[in-house]
Amino acid sequence: MRKTLCEGVFFGLLENINLVHHNFGINCKLSGAVFSVSEIASAVPLIHGPTGCAFHQRLTPWRMFASVCNAESTNLSENDVIYGGERKLREGIMRAYRTYNPSLIVVLPTCVSGLIGDDISGICQDIRSAIRCNIVYVNSEGFAHRGRVMDDNRTNAISSSWAAYQSSATLEHEINGCGQEEVARALVDQLMEEQDVLDDKVNIELNGKCRISFKRRLGEMKRILENIGLGINATLLAGTVDEIKHAPAASINIVTHNRMAAERMKERFGTKIFRKSPNHNGIDGIEKFYIDIASNFGLAGEAESVLKREKEFASDMLKKQRRVFENYNFAIFSQDWLLNPHMARALVDDFGIHLRYFCINTNQLRRMRAISHDNLDSLQSDLAQLFSEWDLDTQIIVNPTHKEIMDAVRNVDCMISNGPMAILHGHEVVSKMIDISSMNYLLLQTSFKGVVEFGQLLALYIKQMPVSKQNNSIISYFNCDPIHYPLISDSSSYASRNIWYSWKSGKYLKVD
Amino acid sequence: MALDGGRFLGAWRASSGIYDAAVLSHVPIGCNWGAGMLASFSRQQEINHACTILHEREIIFGGESSLERSLLNIASNHNGPVIIVVSGDVPSIIGDDCDAVIRSLNLEKQVALINAPGFMGSMRDGYEDALLDLAELMKERDTIKKSVNLIGFCRDDYKVDADIREIKRLLSCAGIEVNCTISNCSYEEFLGAPAAELNVVIGQGKLLADQMKKEFAIPYIELEYPYGLQNSHRFVERIRDAIDYCDVVQNELDLESYKRIYVYLNKLYGMPVSVIGDHHSQAMAHFLEEDLGFDIKVLSTFDDPSFEDRIRNSNSIMIFGCSFELKIAKYLEVPLVRYVYPVFDRVSFCDAPFAGTRGAQVLIETIVNAALSYGDDYIIRA
Repeated sequence: MRKTLCEGVFFGLLENINLVHHNFGINCKLSGAVFSVSEIASAVPLIHGPTGCAFHQRLTPWRMFASVCNAESTNLSENDVIYGGERKLREGIMRAYRTYNPSLIVVLPTCVSGLIGDDISGICQDIRSAIRCNIVYVNSEGFAHRGRVMDDNRTNAISSSWAAYQSSATLEHEINGCGQEEVARALVDQLMEEQDVLDDKVNIELNGKCRISFKRRLGEMKRILENIGLGINATLLAGTVDEIKHAPAASINIVTHNRMAAERMKERFGTKIFRKSPNHNGIDGIEKFYIDIASNFGLAGEAESVLKREKEFASDMLKKQRRVFENYNFAIFSQDWLLNPHMARALVDDFGIHLRYFCINTNQLRRMRAISHDNLDSLQSDLAQLFSEWDLDTQIIVNPTHKEIMDAVRNVDCMISNGPMAILHGHEVVSKMIDISSMNYLLLQTSFKGVVEFGQLLALYIKQMPVSKQNNSIISYFNCDPIHYPLISDSSSYASRNIWYSWKSGKYLKVD
Repeated sequence: MALDGGRFLGAWRASSGIYDAAVLSHVPIGCNWGAGMLASFSRQQEINHACTILHEREIIFGGESSLERSLLNIASNHNGPVIIVVSGDVPSIIGDDCDAVIRSLNLEKQVALINAPGFMGSMRDGYEDALLDLAELMKERDTIKKSVNLIGFCRDDYKVDADIREIKRLLSCAGIEVNCTISNCSYEEFLGAPAAELNVVIGQGKLLADQMKKEFAIPYIELEYPYGLQNSHRFVERIRDAIDYCDVVQNELDLESYKRIYVYLNKLYGMPVSVIGDHHSQAMAHFLEEDLGFDIKVLSTFDDPSFEDRIRNSNSIMIFGCSFELKIAKYLEVPLVRYVYPVFDRVSFCDAPFAGTRGAQVLIETIVNAALSYGDDYIIRA
């Protein structure tokens, strides 16, 4: 548990920098691609571009705590821009092959190689016979990054999935341009081979192989699926090259991220798709996740008895924590939709917490203007509808004023937030703040053990919550942006942010 | 296990802080080696200590002749103005009359004797009593207005030189002069300590301050080590109040540099940590709590044998202590921030204090870097 917290807090430092910088732009598509390749065992990315691209894109937002060291670059120069980089690409492939002896080389073109028109596919095809390793090329040119409608589509998808909470609604939105999707699709097209389909096998999509939670999630999934009567054919992309090649042997892809690649697999190999839904959260949600999968195989009955045991075990593990939580009143403060109503419901159902207030601040999303007000309004009304249907007895406060927040905090014992709350610093109630941003990923993992661990951590925080806390820490003196917390109010930063938001919204924003 | 250096080490550290004194340890060689080694990691150029090297023969026949030989030897070879004999466990058991030996030699140089058998008290006791013994050498002086003595330092404390420089700077900005830092001073400065208007006891050295109050009518105040911004501010204000200094001075609290890492400071706010140490630990905990909003799960001194168990049973994810805490830190796989004696796996020689307002910056930088280095091992796994 301590290791989970360490990863959450210490890796969270760099992840927070990454999140803050997403207020000013997004990472290059190339870095998403580099990350995906780094997930595959014995694969090496070959960045076909100038040295600068290979220099900094190896620090990928998906694993800021460990840059991708095993990577090669073709180091294109001015001469190559004029005469073409194909010779260097051939040399780069051979160098990567000799240096790393990999099972797979993934050629990642950059903006430059994309613009000068090197025949990357032709060279890969040509050189295949000269080396005993697989080669794949990806459309990773940085200029073709995520579109400006992405956030709005995503919000729309979230809203739809909330509204359709009874079914296995999915996040149907475009993530083309993140780099990871492109790698996955290239693997489908260029590496995967036609297989005899095994009726009881599934592929699962998991990433973050070096995080402590990865093995735990994979282990739990394997165990539950096996008990139901199913097996895992391949772990995508964090598996071996051989696993990926044989991925089409599975009957179903359990998709959590790379939707388009799954669609492509369906198209090429007929592999069916099962998509994880936002309501597959919490103990009941996880049960539903497995039963939904099992239903595709006619194994719903088997799944129910397996999941009953799993649920009972998890609930037993949480008994002690529930006794702690029942003595406290809670409020939730969220600035985005990460702490969504399904998560809130899981907190109530699984941990038995008395949730008095759900405060949601949509001003940040509204300010971005990349999300339509219709979609935001729809999210708000869906939230209210869900809470009403669930009979949660929770007061929803949308865009609370300073006074409303302070009143809410004073009326509860704990204020759960997905990040530190600037507004509480400098007040005695700061001692009631429990920032779960370092551990909320445990709730999103579709893992019983993750839920249990979250409950244990939350209980530990609550039990050891200081009676009073100093409220004049260094950060309490900072003038934080009231909307874009935790950004510090700064006019030049504000202007820079607006340029990015302007691009995203397609509208010019005036600096207030 | 409880971690205390014992009376001998405390006395040795107090004595060796008078840096032009010759410290003669009347002990078997190992005692001297241990004390000297712990002092040498960040001060390798100065060895002002020697040993009478009590061996089996001395256990049987007594160590007095060994002490005599050593005193004669050191008196002729060491240029310093004073010899401080620190007598440890063995002479105390075998019954050496060290005082008689010293008197019999009638050396020209001043010789002070400190009896400090390790089994007769803690390191703190040794430090306190040694300073008390050495206080007998002090003489009445004319008072220097707005001057203070800082008592409680050891010359082998981690960051001691940079810390003293920073504390002097802070006090100087407030119009206060430091007369003597004990024990990190020359013999002459030590003798001149009674010239100060006020004694400031920082964690230890209270018996000396009591004695100086009695002997020289110098008042004293006890303050926490000035870690952090708020501690430093209080430190200066309390001293100014004590010497009734009313001149207005510039408040130098400047948080601008911290904005450069405000995202990290936000993320680390509320982090559960544990702190162990000597008298520095309380001040460190206050700094972490007040300036950074950390959640102190375990605060302990070295004499608490349950410290490790208490950390294990907490959700601490960072430990503040000495180099000996590395084992529990590694066991729990959490970062260790070394700040208190003994620190033997890090050096401190440049002007990067932990004390004072400048020290707050260095400390926070150290803490954030410790947090960031958590991912170092993942580079291979990834």
